[in-house]
Amino acid sequence: MTSASMIVDRKTQRYDRQLRLWGDHGQAALESARVCLINGSATGTEILKNLVLPGIGSFTVIDSEKVSGADVGNNFFLDADSIGQSRARVVTELLQELNTDVSGNFVEEPLQSLLDNDVEFFRPFTLMIATQLSSKMLARVSEVCVKLGIPFLAVRSYGLIGYLRLQIGEHCVIESHPDSPMDDLRLDRPFPELLSYLQQIDFNTQDGFQHAHIPFLAILLKHLLEWKASHGGLPPKTSKDKDEFRAEIQRARRIKEDGSRAEEENHDEAITHATKAWHVSSIPSEISALFADSNVDNLTATSSPFWIMVRSLRDFVMAEGEGLLPLRGSIPDMAADSDRYIRLQHVYQERAKHDVAAFTAHVHRHLAELGLPLGTISDDDAKTFCRNAPFLRVIRARPISDELASATSKLTDTLNFHLEDPDSSVAFYVLLRAVDLFFEEHGRFPGAGDDQVEEDIAPLKQYVVGLLTDLGVSQHAIKEELIHEMCRFGAAELHNIASILGGLASQEAVKVITRQYIPFNNTFLFNGITSTSSTVEL
Amino acid sequence: MATTSSSNHGADRSAAVSRIVGDDVYARIKAAKVLMVGAGGIGCELLKNLVLSGFVNVVVVDLDTIEVSNLNRQFLFQRQHVGLPKAQVAADSARRFNPQANIVFHHANIKNKEFSQEWFGQFDLVLNALDNVSARNHVNRMCLAADVPLVESGTAGYLGQVTVIKKGATECFECTPKPPPKQHPVCTIRNTPSLPIHCIVWGKFLFNQLFGLADDENNISPNTADPEAAGDNADAGRQDVDGRDANAELSSADSATNNNVQSLRAWAIEHQYHADETVQKLFVNDVKTLLRMDKLWRERRPPVPLDTLLEQSTDGTNDDGPASSTRLKDQRVWGLKECTDVFRSSLSRLAQRLSEEQAKAAASGSSEAAILSWDKDDDLAMDFVTAAANLRMSVFSIPNMCRFDAKSMAGNIIPAIATTNAIVAGLIVLEAMKILRDQFSICRMTFLARKPNSRMKVLLPTELSKPNPNCHVCAAKPRVTVHVNTNTMTLGQFDEVVLKGRLGMIAPDMMEGNRILLSSEPGETDINNPKALSSLGIVHDTSVFVEDFHQSYELTIRVLHREAFEADAQFVVEGQGSVPPPAAQAPAAPAPTPSADRKRKAEDDSDAPAVVDDDDIVLMDDGSASDHQPAAAHVNKKHRLETPADDEDDIVFE
Repeated sequence: MTSASMIVDRKTQRYDRQLRLWGDHGQAALESARVCLINGSATGTEILKNLVLPGIGSFTVIDSEKVSGADVGNNFFLDADSIGQSRARVVTELLQELNTDVSGNFVEEPLQSLLDNDVEFFRPFTLMIATQLSSKMLARVSEVCVKLGIPFLAVRSYGLIGYLRLQIGEHCVIESHPDSPMDDLRLDRPFPELLSYLQQIDFNTQDGFQHAHIPFLAILLKHLLEWKASHGGLPPKTSKDKDEFRAEIQRARRIKEDGSRAEEENHDEAITHATKAWHVSSIPSEISALFADSNVDNLTATSSPFWIMVRSLRDFVMAEGEGLLPLRGSIPDMAADSDRYIRLQHVYQERAKHDVAAFTAHVHRHLAELGLPLGTISDDDAKTFCRNAPFLRVIRARPISDELASATSKLTDTLNFHLEDPDSSVAFYVLLRAVDLFFEEHGRFPGAGDDQVEEDIAPLKQYVVGLLTDLGVSQHAIKEELIHEMCRFGAAELHNIASILGGLASQEAVKVITRQYIPFNNTFLFNGITSTSSTVEL
Repeated sequence: MATTSSSNHGADRSAAVSRIVGDDVYARIKAAKVLMVGAGGIGCELLKNLVLSGFVNVVVVDLDTIEVSNLNRQFLFQRQHVGLPKAQVAADSARRFNPQANIVFHHANIKNKEFSQEWFGQFDLVLNALDNVSARNHVNRMCLAADVPLVESGTAGYLGQVTVIKKGATECFECTPKPPPKQHPVCTIRNTPSLPIHCIVWGKFLFNQLFGLADDENNISPNTADPEAAGDNADAGRQDVDGRDANAELSSADSATNNNVQSLRAWAIEHQYHADETVQKLFVNDVKTLLRMDKLWRERRPPVPLDTLLEQSTDGTNDDGPASSTRLKDQRVWGLKECTDVFRSSLSRLAQRLSEEQAKAAASGSSEAAILSWDKDDDLAMDFVTAAANLRMSVFSIPNMCRFDAKSMAGNIIPAIATTNAIVAGLIVLEAMKILRDQFSICRMTFLARKPNSRMKVLLPTELSKPNPNCHVCAAKPRVTVHVNTNTMTLGQFDEVVLKGRLGMIAPDMMEGNRILLSSEPGETDINNPKALSSLGIVHDTSVFVEDFHQSYELTIRVLHREAFEADAQFVVEGQGSVPPPAAQAPAAPAPTPSADRKRKAEDDSDAPAVVDDDDIVLMDDGSASDHQPAAAHVNKKHRLETPADDEDDIVFE
């Protein structure tokens, strides 16, 4: 065995349980990712731990702090002996131990000076993550990430509260892994191979077993075609039509010797799934919207494979697809004999392959016209794209700096909508911004000292009221007791909350890096008092 | 702000927690004695969170040792720890962090007698971080018996769940019946496979037949007792006899074509596990035996013996593209010749390993014969099953599958990642703190979804349900009705498959009236084991009283006689399986699951991730199932495809 294949095997073993979520192409993306973490806080190290374990390529910790007693109290990676040492270095060394495949780096230069003097430092990163930054620094990092086109995830643990914010320019997801996708069966638009399959089925068989094991899709299609033939080509429309259609299937059950209707599970299934008969095959609105994107009409040699494929998809729809996307090719489970089930499966799969080939021809034509090598988009890429065509997504999560700069009417409306519920976690969005205003003036967070909790409540309330006014939200939207809670938190970072936030943030980081599954857009708030959360677009 | 005074750091360490949770609660945390069951995926995260939240008295129990496939998430373990007990390494790692913490570990099965009701009673709180239903059931019962609050949890891929169980106040873990494991019809596995899963199951059975614990349940040879093979006139009575008995009958009558279990192992030993001869027997001679059962092939595509296939194939390579095009050799479908080669070499190496184990056992004076146990993470065993299954798929014209997907299917693998475990462990501690504050009313069952639901929630807390008054575990007088064929099921089978297997008992005593039919004392009632229930007086509508002293669990079972069961079931417990469960217990939850109709599934974490459990074959999600094994992702219900219960299995909270 060569050493290369040994390495592959070692990795396959180690990463087995996650490869089953994102596949080897997702793993490859992860292994080539370079992640930058600002602040080796408890939250920050928890995030990196969850990224180092599954094997990102490299990480860099930016932190100019020295390890404190509080760090040792909330960070699993720091012990008493490390107090007073460089937090960036200690954290990096300990994280590195978790997985020797990952390369760890650290920078002790203050963030402020990197932002002032060396913006190019950030350019190589795949993803930027900042923890425990207050609004002002957040806005600065946000601007740099916009400029360099790097996705940015901001994370904050504050007492029992958690905040996550994603900023991303244009994030195209092919494999969004929908939870329970609608079957793509085309009973309303049967293709020739499906019709000839139907013709081969003997509905009049005397064999009871045979009759009870005709795949229900065939039963539905047969009855639909008969219905249309006697109704001017139209499918069942009204609920009366639909009841009648089901009754027809009911009457198609075999009659037993005693004159009763046989119990046939396949007919039960046909009746249960009768809606599939009048389901209209169409293009999802999200995909129609993608077709209208300016990227589609203006292909250039620098267009991404994603947009070249969206264009090819549109071409397919207008030509071979006759208004429909490529067939996905999978069919649901059903009570049927294996032979006819497998043949039916084959009919759908072959049609899907046929559609992929037609789509791929469009891709090749565009690549040639753009002067790009055909290998730019592999056949496997094209196949994956077709299979996921109805589920393509493009996410654009707007810059944090824009959000903080001025309140748009959309932001005001969103906040007003959520804050109508006095228990909404969105209240903590306002409160976190208010404690940052407090910090800017006082150089410390409210309640940071044990004896300051009570005295800071009134001033914090002033900031809350001022902020609500600026944001155009009712002054009574935030419950008084939450202001007390914020003071009691004293900006402390609890390990348990850091652990939860670390888990949630790294999950989103994996989605962004692998370009699989749909990341949240764009703000997530966690309330550890009630274990509740909200996601809002701000 | 940074301090170098180490005398100060103890105060700093606790300051934030005690301030935010309150001094009184912090004092309770310090005083609390906590049991953590399981030191796997959730356990590693949980132990860290406990120690950093101020808990100092923690007992950890886990019976597993560390494996390479744990390292992508169980961060307390590193490569040099592979093979060591999880409980020990986890406790050591956490102790090193906080030397003041009193962390005790037991590398042991939580079901052991040493962990008695009194032992459970010493804890203020039990936290489950388990990966299988059977242990969860057991801990549930022990916590009910000892009246200790339990936080239950599970994860599966991106999904997770945390809930609180408190005797008398909430649902217990068993208030909602879990669907029983389903079986594949014996005849489909042995005679007429039509889907990859049938061949995978056959491959695992074959492993046990040749190297492992061989029994009737996993016979793989052609079954000439197949009622279908007997033609349309097969008498109805015969179909009621389960395949095993019919087969036993026939094997004595016709052992030449219907090799029984002993004979396959005996055959292999006699032929010294000769690779070529084994290939010839399994994939040529046995296939010819099946072909002679011509009624099976009237409506099916007949199998083709391997020798004919090899003659037909030109170079034996698969058209799935060159090996170099995929990064992992695991994800490439092997060609026919490659499968044959892998089968031969893995067979020989496994035979070698078996003989080494036997020599070792003999040297140590053990009276028991050494066997190999199948493990999905054992590369050699997985190679063997992949090759055997694929050869069988080729024989039956079923599209082949790669080793990676074969492993998913054979191991019932549920994906597992660090992120979900971290979130769930954090939620467990939040619930634990509520319990320590005596705030049961605000405890919640929290479900972690993969993405925000329609109300933009990713964490979905719901109120805890009340106990199910008909629960067969936590009701005041637990009762259950079991349908069984009292003429064919023996007491020994009833003990194994019903009392221990399904009803989760450890050491049951069973009485009918004043007669003790089954005793947990070794040997006392062995004489009854081979007797049919009816011959012991358990006939239709007999009530028996069963008691498990260890679990402090008493159950009255009403036995109803039934001749026939669906598929290969041997019995039915009312309220579980085909009989609809009592309607009362659907939690009034806002259907939070991503797919509302899908069962909320939580999982494991601990060692081998997970596993089985209910009706789905777990494969990569939806659209990502690979192309070349299409039938696998969509399973033909008619065959009641299901994964035979593996050593680990999983749970469903409903």
